[in-house]
Amino acid sequence: MDAYTDKIKEISKKILSEGKVDVVIGFRKGTLGYMSEPYMAKSEKEAENLVFDCNCRMNLVNYVTNRKDKVGIVVKGCDSRNLVTHIIENKIKREQLYIIGVPCTGLADKKALLDLAEGEITSVEDDNETITIKGDGFEKKVAKSDVLQSNCKTCIKRNPVIFDELAGPEVAELEISDRFADVDEVEKMSADERWNFFGELLSECTRCYACRNACPLCYCPTCFVDESRPQWVGKSDNETDVLTYHFLRAFHDAGRCTDCGACEAACPMDIKMRYFTRKTIKDCVEKYGSEAGMELDKRPALDQYKINDPNEFIK
Amino acid sequence: MEFVGLEEDRLHFSWISSAEAVKFADVAKQVAEKVKVLGPNKKFVKRYPTKDTE
Amino acid sequence: MSEYEPKIVSFLCNWCSYGAADLAGVSRFQYPDNFRVIRIPCTGRMSPKFFLSALREGADAVWVSG
Repeated sequence: MDAYTDKIKEISKKILSEGKVDVVIGFRKGTLGYMSEPYMAKSEKEAENLVFDCNCRMNLVNYVTNRKDKVGIVVKGCDSRNLVTHIIENKIKREQLYIIGVPCTGLADKKALLDLAEGEITSVEDDNETITIKGDGFEKKVAKSDVLQSNCKTCIKRNPVIFDELAGPEVAELEISDRFADVDEVEKMSADERWNFFGELLSECTRCYACRNACPLCYCPTCFVDESRPQWVGKSDNETDVLTYHFLRAFHDAGRCTDCGACEAACPMDIKMRYFTRKTIKDCVEKYGSEAGMELDKRPALDQYKINDPNEFIK
Repeated sequence: MEFVGLEEDRLHFSWISSAEAVKFADVAKQVAEKVKVLGPNKKFVKRYPTKDTE
Repeated sequence: MSEYEPKIVSFLCNWCSYGAADLAGVSRFQYPDNFRVIRIPCTGRMSPKFFLSALREGADAVWVSG
């Protein structure tokens, strides 16, 4: 991972000094040992702070929406697919971007790291195979595969789809046998069981909208939850309102979600809201054979009409 | 919507042209019948706090 | 009032099903009276917000017809 960091610094300094970009959006070390935070480097000196490690859970594509200047951006495989979606949806132009692609071997699950730690974590080191968690008075080594974020376990594109420069050699893609095992399990339940399952899942939700803010797809000028005339969703933590919010968010992301996991990583209550978006991904893959953000000239599944689209549900 | 646990027959889609009044009446009958079988919607209705629940 | 009568919110396209409903009325066809019709300019106007709102406010079912 240090190799990635060095290479990202090198590329950033080069493009900043050549004037190719006005800013490089990347990560820097966070105040907590197990979190890296988004960082905008505007000069060569600031580029020195950039890092990349297994704590870079946020999706930086969130910060390029509607930008007018030239931007360098550090993207993982999943983020690069969001970048493709952004370009297709006219939220940024390809010419404005200098993309630093990171062939990604997965991110560490925040919760798993905290569970392993025997105190406050001061640093997390990652060499693509093992992760070393250090804190006051303890040091632990774990295999990276044991603490991967759940979306990284089912990742279909670890290498960036588009990039100008890579921060390291391409990595081998994962071979996944049963990609939607979790969704299948829910689908097997009866309607009432499912209803209870999701009621339970969302019972902790405080409607802080961290998942919405972390999501690069959520760029509506006025979000439906903020509209008051008409008011689609109540503002309280009423069960029906919470469900409405999560359903509608999933509908908005349908056919566009790349399963980057930023929503779940941002959630302070550890709610697994990716069940909803993963269901939409599964449907798009099975019904339309379409995967979001894989090609620049392919519109998202629900954005186009084909004469042979499935329509059995219409009488 | 079935995925989250609402009954399938709570939501109907159909395609009827403006000349198909007979089809409209037929489909309307089918929809009403199916929903009658389901019974009242209890899952998604927003319950406002009332004096009894407080 | 012994038998249960559901409330069904129906979203009908102005040019298709709304016309059909009108024609059915003019032709005096019998159909159930459980429907509360909302005319939309086109089925493309339909949004998931609408049926979630309808259910939230107590509708028993939603029927979308284009």
